[in-house]
Amino acid sequence: MEYKELFISAIQTLRTNVVRTALTMLGVIIGISSVILIASLGQSSVKFITDQLSQFGTNYFQVSPGNNMRAAFGGGSGKPLTVDDSDAIKSAGISNIETVAPMGFASRAISANETTKTTTIYGLTPEGQVMLKPEMVFGEGMTHDDKNNKVIVLGIDVAEDLFGEDTDPVGLSVKVDDQKYRVIGVSKSSGGFIGGFFNSAATVPLEVLSDLIRGDDDLFEIDISVANTDLLDETMDEVELFLRDERNIKDGEDNDFNLVSFKESLGIIETVTGLLTTLIIGVSAISLVVGGVGIMNIMLVSVAERTREIGLLKSIGAKEKDILVQFLIESVVITVSGGTIGIIIGVVLAMIVSLIAGLPVIVSIPWIFIALIVSSGIGILFGLYPAKRASRLSPIDALRNE
Amino acid sequence: MSSEPPIIQLINVTKKYQIADDEYYEALRGISLKIKKGEFVAIMGPSGSGKSTLMHIMGALDTATTGKQLFKDKDIALYTNDQLADIRNKEIGFVFQAFNLLPRTTVLKNVERPMLYGGIPATERTKKAMQMLEQMQIESKANNLSNTISGGQIQRVAIARALVMDPSLILADEPTGNLDTKTAHEIMSLFQTLNEKGHTVVLITHEEDIAKYAKRHIRLVDGKIVSDKK
Repeated sequence: MEYKELFISAIQTLRTNVVRTALTMLGVIIGISSVILIASLGQSSVKFITDQLSQFGTNYFQVSPGNNMRAAFGGGSGKPLTVDDSDAIKSAGISNIETVAPMGFASRAISANETTKTTTIYGLTPEGQVMLKPEMVFGEGMTHDDKNNKVIVLGIDVAEDLFGEDTDPVGLSVKVDDQKYRVIGVSKSSGGFIGGFFNSAATVPLEVLSDLIRGDDDLFEIDISVANTDLLDETMDEVELFLRDERNIKDGEDNDFNLVSFKESLGIIETVTGLLTTLIIGVSAISLVVGGVGIMNIMLVSVAERTREIGLLKSIGAKEKDILVQFLIESVVITVSGGTIGIIIGVVLAMIVSLIAGLPVIVSIPWIFIALIVSSGIGILFGLYPAKRASRLSPIDALRNE
Repeated sequence: MSSEPPIIQLINVTKKYQIADDEYYEALRGISLKIKKGEFVAIMGPSGSGKSTLMHIMGALDTATTGKQLFKDKDIALYTNDQLADIRNKEIGFVFQAFNLLPRTTVLKNVERPMLYGGIPATERTKKAMQMLEQMQIESKANNLSNTISGGQIQRVAIARALVMDPSLILADEPTGNLDTKTAHEIMSLFQTLNEKGHTVVLITHEEDIAKYAKRHIRLVDGKIVSDKK
């Protein structure tokens, strides 16, 4: 049997009823275009987040106070992480550690020009500042010389709220807890997403935060960078053991702190995005099933309408298999054409949405192949019953049909 | 010629259709006949006499309820659907009254179609189909769609298609039923010429002047042969 002839014949048949063919394709077009759109946007989002995270480097991990499990069961965060812990890690002699950057925070009202804004104030060391890479709009970041000075770097949004847009406030002062701080710079996050919190926050030297604002040495987190990324896990283990010992945690007891690496954060983000993408694709796939049922319905109508044609074909020697293949080719041509149109629409929509949302434009090539395979599969699956029915028609019943 | 088996031999063939749970309709009641190579037979009878059922059985479109149904001495009542399809493809050429050609398809492709099912390569298909269309003097319409030609032309194309596999038997079911008198006689002259060239033709008709073209006349009434004259 030559499939080329049957393929041409299928196209001719479908062309004679263009509107019906187009409506039949609609379900597949909607299903496939949504799958391609969601899959591409999912990949774009992961790429975007990965790029943002990569800006902070893959060579660091964070230590934060508390225990996730204990906190989840209402056990509280327990013992705080302090500057002492940070100093201890620094002097522990763990060879792979490059930088230890403790980070504290407090929420306070900042005022200037008779304007007050409640803001998160981070306490950073110059090393921490290097690690988080904020982009300086005006002035400079903090140096070691600023260690005990009442200086402040404002996030761009805070600076604009207090001093107005496009105003360089360097050299001016703001008030925090009735004390004056000299503005030495205005920063914004180098990435648009992760670290975006810098835009609406302010940073002061860690010592100033501890002594003058918080009144204690509690830290928000300690960021640790390593020299050799390949040994990151081993270094994390060393820090964990060291901290357990330092914080007198007995064998068998859970940690009262958390260690998370960039790699793990990325893994979590990828898992969550992947899960969401799969879920949405699953929902979109329902429209493919609905489309498939529509195709089955139309193919059954087509078989009924063409009963005499089937009888004629059988009278000139068509076997059951020949009729089956002919009708299957027709349903597969409908679904693959619908799938191809769906892919094109999905890709174009994904490009438009990515460009508007500022995401990298990614066309999911594997999903295009999956979409083509799935649409052929739908054609075969939902075309099989009508095709079988056509092939099993008795030639005389078919010829007698009026 | 006499040493060759008859193309069709029916021995005491009956055909019953179930029309209700306990009700049967007997369309053929013990038909026995032989059709030999080179014959031109007209099967005649009023409507409901069983002539279409007889044609379906002779054409391997249907099988007998009882009796022997021999095609070149082989009992095709025992054949599978695919084997029957093979017989229809290679041994029998059908010409119907209406719905004779595939819609949306060119004249040439219509004539090629039996060869497609017969596994003949594409180039040979086109060559043979064109030869047949030339023989039927309709080659100028080869690339026309089948719904753009006249009734007489449709029957010429149908005859070309019936002949293209070089079958043992041409079965024509009321082939002139939809044609005007002049065209009907042209088509019948064509069957006559084919028979003179050695083709075996069986014609189903209820029109006496159409039946006159045949050399043998079988009359059916209520599923039985009432006369068989040469």
